[in-house]
Amino acid sequence: MVSAPEMEGNQNAAGPSKAEIMAVALSHHLNDGELVIMGAYSMIPMLASRMAQLTHAPNLNYIAGGSGAVNPRLEPLVHSSCDVRNLKAECVLPLPTVIDFEGKTEIDLFFAGGLQIDKYGNCNLVGIGEYSAMKLRGPGTVGLPFLARARRFAIYTQGHDPRTFIEKVDFISGPGFFQGENYNEMNIPSNGPALVVTPIAVMDFHEKTHQMRLKSTYPGVTPEQVQEQTGFELLIPSSVPESEMPTDTELEIMQRLDPQGIARNSIR
Amino acid sequence: MNETRNSKLITCQEAVEKYVKDGCFLAVGGMHMHNNPMALVHETIRKKRKIKQLIASPSANMNAELFFAANLVEEIYLSYVGFEHLGLAPMFRKSAQEGKIKVHECDEGFIIYSLRAGAGGLPFIPYPKGMEYSDIPKVNPQDFKETTDPFTGEKVICAPPLNPDVALIHCQKSDEFGNAIFEGSKFTDEIMAHASKYVIVQVEEVVPHSYIEKHPGEVDLPAFIVDAVVHVPFGCHPTASHMYYTFDEMHLKEYLKANKDKKVEEYLAKYIYDISSHEQYLEAVGGQAALEKLKGGGKPW
Repeated sequence: MVSAPEMEGNQNAAGPSKAEIMAVALSHHLNDGELVIMGAYSMIPMLASRMAQLTHAPNLNYIAGGSGAVNPRLEPLVHSSCDVRNLKAECVLPLPTVIDFEGKTEIDLFFAGGLQIDKYGNCNLVGIGEYSAMKLRGPGTVGLPFLARARRFAIYTQGHDPRTFIEKVDFISGPGFFQGENYNEMNIPSNGPALVVTPIAVMDFHEKTHQMRLKSTYPGVTPEQVQEQTGFELLIPSSVPESEMPTDTELEIMQRLDPQGIARNSIR
Repeated sequence: MNETRNSKLITCQEAVEKYVKDGCFLAVGGMHMHNNPMALVHETIRKKRKIKQLIASPSANMNAELFFAANLVEEIYLSYVGFEHLGLAPMFRKSAQEGKIKVHECDEGFIIYSLRAGAGGLPFIPYPKGMEYSDIPKVNPQDFKETTDPFTGEKVICAPPLNPDVALIHCQKSDEFGNAIFEGSKFTDEIMAHASKYVIVQVEEVVPHSYIEKHPGEVDLPAFIVDAVVHVPFGCHPTASHMYYTFDEMHLKEYLKANKDKKVEEYLAKYIYDISSHEQYLEAVGGQAALEKLKGGGKPW
């Protein structure tokens, strides 16, 4: 991996967008030869996956969610995961086949998200509040229970606030490290959540306690600010580096795949 | 020798009248804002058919949402109902929050396994390990049952077989007998059709049987499982039909705005109740001039 150069003048408007930094964090996390999958509303993970193919991971394969498309070329990137334009790809799988690959643990990494995410990386798309009387009925969990069948998963969010990042999710619709310490006794193939990417910071999980830990922050963001915008106590190492910035090549690739800024400008 | 075969080509109204009964278990195909069989959905709503149970693709959009807007659904097998990048599904959300409907809390796996079990006559399908760590089976003990794997002795969670009474499916092409072709993604529509007792296929184009005989490998649904073929160009509007036209984002936003403005009834009146056919619907949404703009002209690349 080519290390990202120091950003110049990163506070000004000419710097990379938050979404571009997110795409880079996700892209750098993907390894050559892996198979990854994303669900709905996944413009940033799609951009990250295609960018990884065009840089350090030419043998990466990715499945664009419900469309069943394998390795869409993103010419260009579009909003909807199931858009016909994603079928400019190598193969189009029916969904039952995609579920079989998930069940068989062919998937190295699953991109996940949620209305709520807790300190152990459990995700919730079912709803907010007591299940029998939800204050906000969510859309439903879709593929998140199958997080337990992928080798690991990465969480991405469009925002970073204490309502999303909370102490304990109201409903586990996508199991992360569950209650934390008993995770290793769970009889599942997954190694759990590995990375969390938000518009202000990148986080990972402590190897033993499995609690979320700050890994890096975006230019101009302090660890204190990230803590303030998080609804539980984050593990914060004594030294937190700045997140990796896109290289010129990466910026150019993102501009080419997403000329309209569908992903690049998706976060204010 | 007798080669006179019955055509299944009938009108949208006839198909819904004949196969979608009050109190039925209805399956509806399509995924997100793509391939939703909206002409059939609109007609079912126009006829105010009560849906006892609804199952839609793992990610449902207008194909489920409009039934909630029209207050016709009693229960749903839920994996997801929403508008992807455009937000949540307001009437599904409202109906569920107000306790007006029964939600069978499910996931994508459940929709696929239960339809696959239904399609194959299997007694159930066990989940791979891991489902027990989500709260889904805990809040839905009616549909998720535990049993013992006879080979390993381990506990496994199972999905039951589901056999909807009727499936509404959009295919891009079919002949008059119901040999039907998906030109783009198949999503879960194939097993949905296989699992259902009756299948209505709506199509963009009716092709001659000779085309089917030249391309038998392209046929996804064999005629013998299809009960009716309905020819409705732009039949997915406002959602997309893969390879034919994209979704009408302005119209989807119009629906969402109608919700914000508490004008869902007006929306339903304008686009469903006050008109009598799919052809009139297409006029109501702007006619040929507006629809042409959504066309991709074959493969959009």
